[in-house]
Amino acid sequence: MNNKKGLGSLLLSMVICGSLLSACGGNSNTTSEGSGNTEAKAKAAEIVFALPSFNRIPDDLSKVTNAINAITTEKIGVKVDFRLFGPADYAQKVNLALQSGEKMDIFTTLGQFSNYVSKSQVAPLEELLPEHGKELSAILDKDFGPDILKSTTMDGHIYGIPVNKGMALPTNIIYNADMLKDAGVSADTIQSVEDLPAVFAAVKKKLPDVVPFGPINVNPTDTGLVNWMKGASKVDYLTDTTGVGVVIGDNGKVVNFYESDVFKNGIQMMREWFNAGYLQKDTATTTITAMEMVSSGRGFSFLGGYSGMEVGKQLSAQVGKNIETKRIAPFYFDTSAVNSVTWMVSSTSKETEAAVKFLNLLYTDKELINTILFGIEGEDYLKVDEHHVKFPEGMDANTVPYTAMLSSGIVGSESLQYQMEGINWSDVELKLQENKDTTRSPYFGFIFDQGQVKTQMSAVNNVVNQFLPALVSGSVDPESIIAKFNSALKDAGAQDIIDSKQQQLDQWLAAQKQ
Amino acid sequence: MIAKPKSKPLKKTLPLLILAGPGLLYFLINSYFPMFGVFIAFKDVNYAKGIFGSDWIGFKNFTFLFQTSDAWIMTRNTLLYNLAFIALGTIVSILIAILMSELLNKLYSKLFMTGLILPNLISMVVLSLLVFAFLNADSGFVNHSILRPLGIPEINWYSEAKYWPYLLVLIQIWKTAGYGSIIYFASIAGIDKSIYESAKIDGAGKLKQIRMITLPLLKPTIIVLVLMSMGRIFNSDFGLFYQVPMNSGALYSTTQTIDTYVYRALMQLNDIGMSAAAGLYQSLVGFALVLTVNAIVKKVNPENALF
Repeated sequence: MNNKKGLGSLLLSMVICGSLLSACGGNSNTTSEGSGNTEAKAKAAEIVFALPSFNRIPDDLSKVTNAINAITTEKIGVKVDFRLFGPADYAQKVNLALQSGEKMDIFTTLGQFSNYVSKSQVAPLEELLPEHGKELSAILDKDFGPDILKSTTMDGHIYGIPVNKGMALPTNIIYNADMLKDAGVSADTIQSVEDLPAVFAAVKKKLPDVVPFGPINVNPTDTGLVNWMKGASKVDYLTDTTGVGVVIGDNGKVVNFYESDVFKNGIQMMREWFNAGYLQKDTATTTITAMEMVSSGRGFSFLGGYSGMEVGKQLSAQVGKNIETKRIAPFYFDTSAVNSVTWMVSSTSKETEAAVKFLNLLYTDKELINTILFGIEGEDYLKVDEHHVKFPEGMDANTVPYTAMLSSGIVGSESLQYQMEGINWSDVELKLQENKDTTRSPYFGFIFDQGQVKTQMSAVNNVVNQFLPALVSGSVDPESIIAKFNSALKDAGAQDIIDSKQQQLDQWLAAQKQ
Repeated sequence: MIAKPKSKPLKKTLPLLILAGPGLLYFLINSYFPMFGVFIAFKDVNYAKGIFGSDWIGFKNFTFLFQTSDAWIMTRNTLLYNLAFIALGTIVSILIAILMSELLNKLYSKLFMTGLILPNLISMVVLSLLVFAFLNADSGFVNHSILRPLGIPEINWYSEAKYWPYLLVLIQIWKTAGYGSIIYFASIAGIDKSIYESAKIDGAGKLKQIRMITLPLLKPTIIVLVLMSMGRIFNSDFGLFYQVPMNSGALYSTTQTIDTYVYRALMQLNDIGMSAAAGLYQSLVGFALVLTVNAIVKKVNPENALF
């Protein structure tokens, strides 16, 4: 018995030592290569650049990495270690690298801006930008107006560079145009949410097996319904996602969104839709996304935020159905609309100068941007005209050697990106115009520092996760559940968050007036 | 002076020590060195200052666990579920082991054993989909093929909290009991056959043999295994409580455990100080429980205590 035990742990430890050694081997290899290089050529600084990709991630990135390095070493004398992660593990991989002290120079926030800042995980950039990021600042000024960096500035330090793309995401109803035709309804009748129930009823009557309205998003605070309410009623969430401290309109008063009439009416509307049978029974818990429902032909429509007018074409190609969209509510520009996708330089980076140089190139160099997005010309894509590309003969997004292009919403400046063949170029211009024209919240630039109320935030998050999905999907009775929800929020310390936010907002407003 | 008498046992044990070396090293690296990390639970981690330079904040990281009325619910759930798992799991495992040992046909016995271990090899994620296939509101097997044809009103399983205590216990037992029975089976196989023979001669039936011989001789094994699971009574299988109920908010009152609470609460905050605090809290309570139960066992029957 004892011998067996020893043998077992011996074997186990051998396996573990083996895997440890091999892991270390891989690591030390890259670092020694890096340090060797910097010693040889002092000017070629090496940085790690992590990009999330919503597309298939190729096994071998070396060709594209080499192409990127060819551009960057020539232009700015920086070598880039290029990493691609799927959207699901991106944040985890980055957080792990930051926490363990592994090299990670440039990464994007994916909605965690104030989180990274409050833990001092990111480096302030305001001193480096004037020298190494002149063109970058110029292009942001041109496309957004001069105050865009306010949304990534805390206590006078610029912590991130917002992505330069169409950021105004008005709420669209996305629907299957063939089904709408079958139901005998004209698309012109859809102008606002009030027009939707009649459309759903017609679809349900004609196509009883089809679910008229798709389920909610996976993340409870990021549902089509919540986003619609934000845009239609000018709700500023003030940079956290709980919804406990928001300002509705411009009166400067921080309130609990879930106690407001805007919320109650929205939920009541969804409850009516649910009772009328326009949603699935298990919307609150299903893991099937609305997009999957529509592409399988079982769903008719859902709400989503999209910029530009060419979404229908893109989605049609993606889901294989005839998809059209109709805008039904405007977008409301608040701080987190901008800083939720922001490039940051880690505070542990030893090459901040090189990192800013690279960011500068990332926003201004057409060649670099498109190499990152589409890969190598002739192999991964073919050029059609000045602005458009297509896949090589007989290949598609799944079979070309390299493509990260669906992350085009994340890299650099959209106006310098190629578009896929068939997308109207004027749409890119429209998006940039809308960035400037869309109504901004008067609190644009305010960032809530959660440090004082961390424990309340964690408790409140839990309550929101518990109640919100069932409410926004209409599957419970709003009358009693909203009251329960709010009393649970109160228990969790919602008032502390509201008070802390109000105080910070008042201070911020006072500072703005000076 | 002391070295000489000591060198003799060392010579004897050296080969064993070398053999155990890698295993000890493994425990040292993976179980003991990380223990120094517990101080993170008392720090407000700030990466610019570094972990060692960050401010001490006392027990502030622990307060979030007790922030709400959820604190009571999750503690109750964690404890009661684990007690149910330990009690029912042990009973079912012993039952299986006894039945297996009475099965004289070697081939069948091996076959059943393999079949019983199989559920343990299924990952919780896959299992959650299996359960979903049964309980799904629209097309699930239970609603679609049992309740509907019988004319019984359908149940929306994923939004009715009251069914889940039974479901979760059932799922856990189904998954682990077969695997748990192996050790008991091995212990039963180790019992001297002559005891049974003499009992048979004395006229004891099968049931009496089990009651008077098998169970008393299994007692030390049972105690050791229960003691070991006591140490983890404040931890819960994350897959079972998070994946299987599909993270449905409506079920939190019966599916929320400390682990899932911590995970949900800290997903957005990404705060390692609080995570460390939660882990430390669970370990300390587990440690205390093991000591307590062991002390009780020692008092009742010193021979059966773990240490």
